[in-house]
Amino acid sequence: MNDQPIWLTFLVAFIIMNVLLIGMAYMTYFERKVLAAMQDRMGPTRTGPAGLLQPIADGIKLLSKEDLIPRAADKWVFFFAPLVVFVSAIVTAAVIPFGQTAHLFGRDVNLYATDLNVGALFVMAVSGIGVYGIILGAWASANRFSLLGGLRAAAQVVSYELILGLSLAGIFLLAGSLSLREIVLEQQQNLSIGPLEIKNWYIFSQPLAFVIFLIAAVAETNRAPFDLPEAETELISGFHTEYSAFRFSFYFLGEYIAMIVISLFASTLFLGGPSGPGSESHWWLGIIYLFFKTIIFLFFYVWLRATLPRFRYDQLMGIAWKVLFPLVLLNLVVTAAIRLASDGKLF
Amino acid sequence: MPWETLIFFLVGALAILSALGMVAMNNPVHSAIFLVICFVQIAGIFVMLGAEYLAVIQIIVYTGAVMVLLLFVLMLVDMDDLPEFHTAEPLTRVIGTLLGVMLLIEVAIAIGTRTISGAPGTDTPEAVALVGGNTQAIGRVLYTKYLLPFEIISMVLTVGVLGAIVLALPERLGLEAGRRRDTISLGHPRGTDTVLPIESGAETANLSGRSNAQPAGVGRTLIMATDPDDQPVKVGGRRS
Amino acid sequence: MELTANYFLGLSAALFIIGLMGVLIRRNVLIIFLCVELMTAAVGITFVTFSRETNTLDGQAFALFSIAVAAAEAAVGLALILAMSRRTRSVDIDDFRSLKD
Repeated sequence: MNDQPIWLTFLVAFIIMNVLLIGMAYMTYFERKVLAAMQDRMGPTRTGPAGLLQPIADGIKLLSKEDLIPRAADKWVFFFAPLVVFVSAIVTAAVIPFGQTAHLFGRDVNLYATDLNVGALFVMAVSGIGVYGIILGAWASANRFSLLGGLRAAAQVVSYELILGLSLAGIFLLAGSLSLREIVLEQQQNLSIGPLEIKNWYIFSQPLAFVIFLIAAVAETNRAPFDLPEAETELISGFHTEYSAFRFSFYFLGEYIAMIVISLFASTLFLGGPSGPGSESHWWLGIIYLFFKTIIFLFFYVWLRATLPRFRYDQLMGIAWKVLFPLVLLNLVVTAAIRLASDGKLF
Repeated sequence: MPWETLIFFLVGALAILSALGMVAMNNPVHSAIFLVICFVQIAGIFVMLGAEYLAVIQIIVYTGAVMVLLLFVLMLVDMDDLPEFHTAEPLTRVIGTLLGVMLLIEVAIAIGTRTISGAPGTDTPEAVALVGGNTQAIGRVLYTKYLLPFEIISMVLTVGVLGAIVLALPERLGLEAGRRRDTISLGHPRGTDTVLPIESGAETANLSGRSNAQPAGVGRTLIMATDPDDQPVKVGGRRS
Repeated sequence: MELTANYFLGLSAALFIIGLMGVLIRRNVLIIFLCVELMTAAVGITFVTFSRETNTLDGQAFALFSIAVAAAEAAVGLALILAMSRRTRSVDIDDFRSLKD
């Protein structure tokens, strides 16, 4: 990583943030279209050509709704809780590498906002702060159903966050670093399995961790089939019952940004991030590859929502603690054992 | 470097202010929020001291897990009266503050006149960067020099988990708590059980669900649910 | 103004003393618990400052251990507080006096 003037870093971060926000808006459109296709209907078609202006229409609708605050609500906490979810989801994207460096306008520009040498843990840490938005929002609503839903959601997120972090421990072992940029670099090496030479993407060397990561990622963002805490049919609307209009949209959009960022994170860790044929020489190819890999994960999210029924809460927690947790520890032990036994040659 | 000093003063001031806020707040949940802010500032201080791994671990473990656990307990514990500033004797507060100030002056003198002896160690920032970063360096130290404490800590954590589960089992409490097997406090101080004062002219919600004159939230009072077995819950006052 | 270790030590002392005052002054047992956590974190800053000043990593290892022990202590302590407050129906620390006399 080269030292670049700080205004350049700010510019790159600004661009990344805006791309993320636009992506989040069109993620809602993407989801509705894909859900519609899976349910044999059309989805948004009226607003603009093929419904492409639908997110804008949704935004205008949400902005113009009446903003209700329960009388017994704690005003300051009520105001800040959705912001915590939204902001923490965006900040997580600061360490995702969109490439190495690009030579633009006579300068070397880093294609990431920052590269911490504990980058992957930074993502876990900031996602952990997002839990506060749920708990505090639930508590500030002065509504016992919200409180119940919020505590359930928080317990779910904390449990699955543990599983998320542990499933990545195998990757950290293999890569020897926590920095996301270095993990991407490691995946550009070649892995030889017998006569076959493939790229060292960690989906090949850590398949169990990949599956566990996907399950944990879906549960972490409170998405179907793990979305009982915000299920409309069970707990009214769970922890965001009392939120209306724009405040609700912060929760809603924060969830979508979290989905996008976790998909970016998964593509970086398991699918090599911006690497692909030709991406070492052309940086814009890398960004396109990363985009497509992220779309694969987002499609998977929507596919799960369209297909699977919801888990009951005790089933949800049972899966985390009784099934995934031993599996993830097993994965770590086996990875470490194989690496030790083969003296680092196999992996 | 003036930037570093400026950031240190900013982060330090925010840490001290949020710590003071935590101690001074009436509502325990507000105290917990201020403590979370303080912990984030402390993580920033760790980054400034070159301990990045410790900073992220502080956020993941302390703010992400311990404080969430604390907030759970805060929201579930039956608190129908906070005895704080209604009944506390002012003498306690005065003596506490005085002791605190005296201790602060003492420690400030101690810091100002301290000396350090012994040879400096070998893990300079350059040596740490050579090994691959703060995480790798701590890993080396933990697995060689501090291996025994590391193993003992894992046992401490296991025993802690077991102890917490055993202590919180409902059978242990018997049924002295009566029918109130609390999963959510009915005496919640956020007003879920208080009957808000009825203003003249507003209609109360009647149980058949007929609509009222005004939409909710605009001047109409809300009567919250009482105890599920339809007995009025005592609000306010301690057990008597 | 060069940023020496004394500044960090002063900050840590201030946080520790604020936590100590909180323990002495407040009567709500959960807030006392929060103040104890603050004291533990402030001591962590001291450890890391000295570790940085003497160019060793022992201080950081100790701070890591203190975080781990604080987590275990939080779990057990909160379970205790929950059990006690259910028994005595209050969170006032002056009511937790069954060991007295």
